[in-house]
Amino acid sequence: MTIDFWGLGLQAVNVLILMWLLSHVFWRPVAAAIAKRQDTATSLIDASKATQAKADRALEEATQARAGIAAERSATLDAAQKEAATATKATLTEARVKADAMLATAKTTIVQDRDAAQKANEAQAADLAMKIAAKLLERLNCNATQSAFLSQLTEAIAKIPPADLTAVLDDPKGIEIVTATALGAEQSNTNKVVQTALGGKADLKFSTDPDLIGGLELRSPHFVLHNSWQADLKQIQKAVRDAT
Amino acid sequence: MMSPLESTVLFQLGPFTITQAIVTTWVIMVVLVAGAFISTRRLALFPTKRQAALELIITTLDTQINETTGASPAPYRSFIGTLFLFILVANWSSLIPGVEPPTAGLETDAALAALVFVSVIWFGISGSGIGGYLKSFAAPNPIMIPLNILQSLTRVFSMFVRLFGNIMSGVFVVGIVASLAGLLVPIPLMALDLLTGLVQAYIFAVLAMVFITSTVEDGQRLNPKRQEN
Repeated sequence: MTIDFWGLGLQAVNVLILMWLLSHVFWRPVAAAIAKRQDTATSLIDASKATQAKADRALEEATQARAGIAAERSATLDAAQKEAATATKATLTEARVKADAMLATAKTTIVQDRDAAQKANEAQAADLAMKIAAKLLERLNCNATQSAFLSQLTEAIAKIPPADLTAVLDDPKGIEIVTATALGAEQSNTNKVVQTALGGKADLKFSTDPDLIGGLELRSPHFVLHNSWQADLKQIQKAVRDAT
Repeated sequence: MMSPLESTVLFQLGPFTITQAIVTTWVIMVVLVAGAFISTRRLALFPTKRQAALELIITTLDTQINETTGASPAPYRSFIGTLFLFILVANWSSLIPGVEPPTAGLETDAALAALVFVSVIWFGISGSGIGGYLKSFAAPNPIMIPLNILQSLTRVFSMFVRLFGNIMSGVFVVGIVASLAGLLVPIPLMALDLLTGLVQAYIFAVLAMVFITSTVEDGQRLNPKRQEN
């Protein structure tokens, strides 16, 4: 057994050469590729961390801005609520004043309407009372009442001032004696009594007017001597209206 | 049948006797370098399957170096990795009919052991300085200096003998069985040789790594100034 030291040296050189060659074509390039990828990954991670930090800052700023907006919104809402409360109060006060005014006006109108209605009712009641009275008095229209009206007429003629009586008598159109119904046989007696009351010189004309209800009136173009239930009722009606 | 301790001489080149082991070594060198060159031509940031496989080799080697010694793998990667690859391919070259693996010869294994011996000195000096390297022989105490010097020789000699004995014996056994029993009978033994070749390559590389880093660590521990630098 011998060792060839030349061969040993040659094999050692061969392995050294192989180490050198593989170092340059295999070990270093592949290790460099791994290191490059690790560096790239590290730089990507750093970049992503920077981006993350930037995003976090942006998020924080956005959060702060949102908080500011929320505070501003809250303040605006508070101011709007106060303004709305003030406006509501003012509107309520104004509405209350207007309502009070409208209520007072309405009360006044109601009172006025009530008074007007009362007056109208009273007038209607008076008219109705007049009509009822007229209907009732119509039944009392008989010779006795006619005689009473005749005597009242003569008394009224006697109270006429002489100057007025002379002017009535001198009227060329004459004097008209108006009754509610035709006098019939009583007309001559009535004519005689009236002529006597007037002094016996009058030109008397007899006519009828159912509106008188009952009574005896003396009329000339410029003079009327009322002496009927119609005249009495009108006087009562006027007195009632003046009283209300 | 020729002695397993003898190499087949092919030709003479000056003082060098070119044996089949040397030629096989050259072929292995060409194959490894060409394969490495071709496979690493297009390394990209986003790796292909081929590149991922290559990076897996590097990463596994780095992990082994780091887990075995705790040291940074970069300074030792080329040396340890090439040792492992060369021994593995050389061991497995016996599968090719008519090829005698270079590691079955004395010269190749002795050369590898010599390289480990020199590399221990080289990395020891570069890692902890000449003083640190020399002080590493005094670990754990100066009494151990003769034994440590003797150990530095015997451990590489044991590596040399271990590798030579395992590979040569495998080749020799396969040759004997093939000559006695026929062509297909040695196949199980050849399969066993595959495992033996892988294990021996791994052992050789790991032991080389352990020897180197233990020397560096002892030198740095005993020469703190160098460690600080």
